[in-house]
Amino acid sequence: MGYIVPIKELGESPLVDPKITMHEVTDLVSKVSENRAPRGWWFAFLFAASFTGILGIAVGILFWFGVGVWGNNSPTYWAWDITNFVWWIGIGHAGTLISAVLFLFRQKWRTAINRFAEAMTIFAVMCAGMYPGLHVGRAWYAYYMFPIPNQMSLWPNFKSPLMWDIFAVSTYFTVSLLFWYVGLIPDFATLRDRAKTAIRRKVYAFFALGWLGSNRHWQNYERAYLILAAFSTPLVLSVHSVVSFDFATSVIPGWHTTIFPPYFVAGAVFSGFAMVMTLMLITRAVYGVKSVVTMKHLELMNKIMLTTGSLVGYAYGMEFFIAWYSGNDYEMFTFTNRATGPYWWAYWTMISCNVITPQIFWFKKMRTSIPVMFVASILINIGMWFERFVIIVTSLHRDFIPSSWGYFRPTIIDVFTYMGTLGFFFTAFLLFIRWIPMIAIAEVKATLPSADPHFGHAHAGDGEHHHEDKPSEAAPDAALVPGE
Amino acid sequence: MSKRDAYEFAKPREAAPQFWKSLEEKAEPEAAKKRAEAEFPFNLTKDEEPGLGRRGFMMFAGITAAIAGLEGCARRPVEKIVPYTRMPEYSLPGISYHYATVRHERGEAIGLLVETHEGRPTKIEGNPDHPASLGATDVRTQASIFDLYDPDRSTSVKHKSGGALEAAKLAEFDAWLAGKIKAYEADQGAKLRFLSPPTNSPTYLRLREAIRAKLPHARFHTFTPVSETNAREGARIAFGQAVSTINDYQHAKVILALDSDFLQTEPGMIRATRQFARGRRLNTPNEPISRLYVVEPSYTTTGANADHRLRLPARDVERYLAALATELSTKHGLSLGAVATPLAGIKVEGVPEKWIKVVAAELAGAKNRSVIAVGSRQPARVHALAHALNAALGNAGQTVQHFPVADPEETEQIADLKALLSDLDAKRVETLIVLGGNPVYDVPADLKFGDRLATSGATLVQLSSHEDETTAKAAWHVPLAHEYETWGDQRGLDGTYSVQQPLIAPLHGGLSPIEILGRIAGEAPGGYALVQGTLRASYPQPLTLDREWKKALQRGVVTGAVTRPFPAMAVREADVAAAAAQIKPGKALGTDNLEINFAPDPKIFDGRHANNAWLMELPDPMTKIVWDNAAYFSPTTAAALGIVSGDVVEIAREGNKIEIAAWILPGHADNSVTLHLGWGRTHAGRFGGNEAERDWGKGIDTYPITQKLPENGKMRGFNVGPLRTSDTLGYGEGAKVTKTGKTYQLTQTQEHHSMEGRPVAIDATLAEYKQTPSFPQYRTPDPKVLPLWTPVDYTKGHRWGMSIDLNACTGCNACVIACQSENNIPVVGKDQVQRGREMHWIRIDRYYRNGYATTKDGNLDEKDPLVAVQPVACVQCEEAPCENVCPVNATEHSPEGLNDMAYNRCIGTRYCANNCPYKVRRFNYLEFQGEPMYGDLPEVTKMANNPNVTVRMRGVMEKCTYCVQRIQEGKIASKRDSRPMKDGDVVTACQQACPAEAIVFGDLNDPTARVTRAQKRDRGYRLLSELGTHPRTTHLAKIRNPNTEMV
Repeated sequence: MGYIVPIKELGESPLVDPKITMHEVTDLVSKVSENRAPRGWWFAFLFAASFTGILGIAVGILFWFGVGVWGNNSPTYWAWDITNFVWWIGIGHAGTLISAVLFLFRQKWRTAINRFAEAMTIFAVMCAGMYPGLHVGRAWYAYYMFPIPNQMSLWPNFKSPLMWDIFAVSTYFTVSLLFWYVGLIPDFATLRDRAKTAIRRKVYAFFALGWLGSNRHWQNYERAYLILAAFSTPLVLSVHSVVSFDFATSVIPGWHTTIFPPYFVAGAVFSGFAMVMTLMLITRAVYGVKSVVTMKHLELMNKIMLTTGSLVGYAYGMEFFIAWYSGNDYEMFTFTNRATGPYWWAYWTMISCNVITPQIFWFKKMRTSIPVMFVASILINIGMWFERFVIIVTSLHRDFIPSSWGYFRPTIIDVFTYMGTLGFFFTAFLLFIRWIPMIAIAEVKATLPSADPHFGHAHAGDGEHHHEDKPSEAAPDAALVPGE
Repeated sequence: MSKRDAYEFAKPREAAPQFWKSLEEKAEPEAAKKRAEAEFPFNLTKDEEPGLGRRGFMMFAGITAAIAGLEGCARRPVEKIVPYTRMPEYSLPGISYHYATVRHERGEAIGLLVETHEGRPTKIEGNPDHPASLGATDVRTQASIFDLYDPDRSTSVKHKSGGALEAAKLAEFDAWLAGKIKAYEADQGAKLRFLSPPTNSPTYLRLREAIRAKLPHARFHTFTPVSETNAREGARIAFGQAVSTINDYQHAKVILALDSDFLQTEPGMIRATRQFARGRRLNTPNEPISRLYVVEPSYTTTGANADHRLRLPARDVERYLAALATELSTKHGLSLGAVATPLAGIKVEGVPEKWIKVVAAELAGAKNRSVIAVGSRQPARVHALAHALNAALGNAGQTVQHFPVADPEETEQIADLKALLSDLDAKRVETLIVLGGNPVYDVPADLKFGDRLATSGATLVQLSSHEDETTAKAAWHVPLAHEYETWGDQRGLDGTYSVQQPLIAPLHGGLSPIEILGRIAGEAPGGYALVQGTLRASYPQPLTLDREWKKALQRGVVTGAVTRPFPAMAVREADVAAAAAQIKPGKALGTDNLEINFAPDPKIFDGRHANNAWLMELPDPMTKIVWDNAAYFSPTTAAALGIVSGDVVEIAREGNKIEIAAWILPGHADNSVTLHLGWGRTHAGRFGGNEAERDWGKGIDTYPITQKLPENGKMRGFNVGPLRTSDTLGYGEGAKVTKTGKTYQLTQTQEHHSMEGRPVAIDATLAEYKQTPSFPQYRTPDPKVLPLWTPVDYTKGHRWGMSIDLNACTGCNACVIACQSENNIPVVGKDQVQRGREMHWIRIDRYYRNGYATTKDGNLDEKDPLVAVQPVACVQCEEAPCENVCPVNATEHSPEGLNDMAYNRCIGTRYCANNCPYKVRRFNYLEFQGEPMYGDLPEVTKMANNPNVTVRMRGVMEKCTYCVQRIQEGKIASKRDSRPMKDGDVVTACQQACPAEAIVFGDLNDPTARVTRAQKRDRGYRLLSELGTHPRTTHLAKIRNPNTEMV
């Protein structure tokens, strides 16, 4: 028995354009950083960088005057700051899911988008990580949150979910960065080998850590990658669960809910995929990598969005049910107030973007339409921002004692800070696209027909193994079977 | 730049060995040098190269860097510090002392103990030995420490020689005054007039007599915008002499308050609140409590405490009383004599029948044990009639007592003022000396004081704490020293005589009224001698005087000078009947004929405290509006006029008109508009407004950098003075209201007014209480859950706790300001309050709830709701939700169970405040205590700070600590004296100030402590106890005492 078709998962169509060769893949991806940046890149970069500048201004004003330049008040002590924090962290999750969980589940279609998604994770976590530092009243003492031995007898309170957050997010960032970097090593080596200038060669050589593509290198690499994937996988579940503890362990109705951990994880994956989709569709159009990132990938991502969107919708419904079923007046009031109170518009924005929008992906036509999925992904991004806003602001603004009820309005500095982190994110992302292989060259090659150990033998029908066609820098199939 | 001289190396000795680089150089040294110079031109920078060369640049850059470096190590100016080695006696750093003194408030002398630190008064407390204080204070007394340190107080004598006022020396004023007085001796002071607010100072009266002896034709006039003149005239009608009436609200069984806000703005509020609360105290369900009926137009603090409240326009109150009197005399056989005749047949519309029948029966059934209290603004005839009724009911001499007034000569103020003004018009006045008060601002508009003064050409000498509206007209302005800065003496409403002891030398070198009078009378200029001179009349022996003086200073009360109440006084029925005959029905009220009624503001009174930032930011007890006043309308009237809260309306009456923001006050009488005095000041100061311009504030500015500073000097609120004429000092009718189309941002600290059916401020009727004594606990049960961790054992040592009796609390706000003063709580400004960032550690929540008839919460009866008030501060949960969530351990539990804040540990994540179910935590969103957004606070304002409490910076969370500094002080004292702590050693600031004794604090491990007993009462409940927070503060549910026949 032999292989009849080149590598392809059971019953599925090829993951990349079957006509593309290994060299073309290398060329396609490497050229992005080797050629001059297109004019569009510069426009986008300057635009994004100017928003990063706005972030600097907003943070300057924030640090100079205090948190009062935001709209936060009593009782809404947290508002856009933590909304943005959770939103960014959530976005990061798709990256980890794609790279680690799908890797372990041998979902090879991930190879086209994993680099991209991981980069998104890194930058999103950076944006998220800014907020805990920015939102505290005395940012210059933010280091009190770290367990640093000191002469002041200060030690963090490990009972505090914010403390857990610090560890969850910093662990997440460290592991994600390592995972991303380890995956990049063979590709850095490819860029190094193709480099035409000395500086380019030196810089890429530095980051390639002396990668030679030897069998031993590949073996170590695959093991490291697998271990890191195993590290990252629980993080997909744990980080957003821990973030949800910030709310779930509190006493505030609307926060004090056991459904939060799975609900937050589903929401995180949902929003993360939407963000990957948004970025991917733009990049795909701009850089013409359609042969690598095919409609197949996009459709699969849409299916995930449909699933997670429906999960989130279930959570929304379950919250209402439990509020009613518990017989707790405060709980019931909070949820009624979400839908009909002063912030009804935020709630219904959330419902329409997060629950109704992904339902269009039941239809194949919609799943495969680029404009539809682009608009849907943007709407989901908006909806998921509103989900966090609804959870944080509408729960806080009317809690137990009616005399303390209030209404939150953002200020222009709130808007600047948020737009600023978006600017920072896109700036970092554009720099990534410009200088780092945005598609995992080595991993994509492993999914090419020619990467199949039996490539070329199907027609011969003798079942013998010939490896002469295999390019030296391509990942062997060992990527899938590490022990081999 | 000066050329720097190169360092001159020592020249080589002649005999030193010579070196050469090459043979050419050795052979032809000059030629070689030239060649070398051509190759390495050293002097290029000097001549050949234009501008700044490389070396020049380097030199400049180096010098710039060096100078920049030097800047950092510039010598600091020498500032020698001096150790406190030669301490003045009785002044230990860090140890506070309390001095007894007295403060004047609306004819009442409030005895005080003022806490001073190193000679700096910081906190006002009540004097328990003083009958008008009984150890408590009211809101304005608490805030008076801010008045003392008001940064806008007048700082020097001013004299107008040419066009403008210019700073002058006190000596110049003294010389001018001495010259004038000397000159006036010729015509016996015929052209000299004095205008002052009513006085209660015996020294003032003594000096007035002395001046009269010297200048018999000089005249003294009295005016203050909110006065007791009607009450005095009423007493003159009823008894033939002015009396000061003190009601005993403690022993009265039935109290009828007619337009009388005796729990907030009327004189003697502290004593009244104390007694009222005692009369309603319930330890067990079977104790009798008093019943309060209130008839009033606006919703006041007194109305909020009523068992039954009738909303009635102010002008109809007299007819209600007349109808009640007729009912009492005809149905209950009350003998009113001649008084009954003119009353017969007087009807009052809008009053339910039961309000006459049932109330009359109640009053008749509580002979000797009822009180009919009439508000100061009601005309004299109503007071006279009430005196007659109180006498007939047997209350006079029992629950209603009459005392001699401090100044029996004081006459009806408007007549008095008109006499002065006609003298001014006739140019019979050359010098008018105004001893306090602000007549240009607060004299009724139709009397046109300012204009008539200007045309008369009289020289105005003004003694005033601020350069106010009147100062512009003055030829001489002398700063008025604060009561805490000068010697004085005062008589209380009951005649109690106290010495006003200064606590600090005048900060701005001001004078007191008696010091001015002393100068004119030719006595020693110092207040000390003047006051002792008065006391000498009672104690002529120097030794006795010395002994009594010391006792007076120590105790704050002169014990030997107690006045007794008059025995039951005979009512002059004919005079009362003649006055009552003036009670006539008016034109029907409606939107074309609205009533306007003027009330003193519950915070800034008549405007004299307008620059007191604490009071400005204090929420109004009923509307919770801060930094503004408004015209209050009933929901029905507002609907008829088509206005909503925040609309700017024009109110016109008899050609006078004002623009003012409207506010819909549930429970307000229909067709009546309540206007609070004292706002819209143009010369009050940075907090009260010193511009004619107002900030219209359309919603919150979303550009936070331009946030309004709390002291931007814009006009605050609306001046209702132009509508207030001499015949409408209290109320008037015939007003019309039109919408202007403009809106105004009014800011409240509480925006939601329904309890939403939640067990928050729990109340019940007495009958319900008797039926189910522990009713509140059914609504807030402790949860049956296992603890997450080993519960802390608090049974050893102290276990601090508090109890707040909602049955006693009237919602007067005194505790809020006491807390602000004690704990250095900043003022944040209207804009920040609008953003929800007020900082008060204790707040008084005010909820409207449906009346007795409608039992279900839900749709609120806006026309006639009941009110529930509830003070909420940190309840010090034993299982505090805030503590678990702080990532940096900045809020922790003390072994005594206090929920402590470590400010310098707090990084400001605000998680604790989110997780606080009571929302009592306050966050310093900005640097509210100074730079950078608010500018540095004036040094003088900082003097009011309590040195025992940290001043919190921005980014830090804060909250009630149960006055932990006082707990520590008490513990240190007990340790020093080697004795165990006893109940009452620690008194929190709110407890200390509370006139109703609603707040009790102490050690719950002491079974005999008052707090332990209070917490065990059956109507005690722990707020939100169902969350398992185990609060240390217990609220005691409010018990209302409605008459079943009225419901």
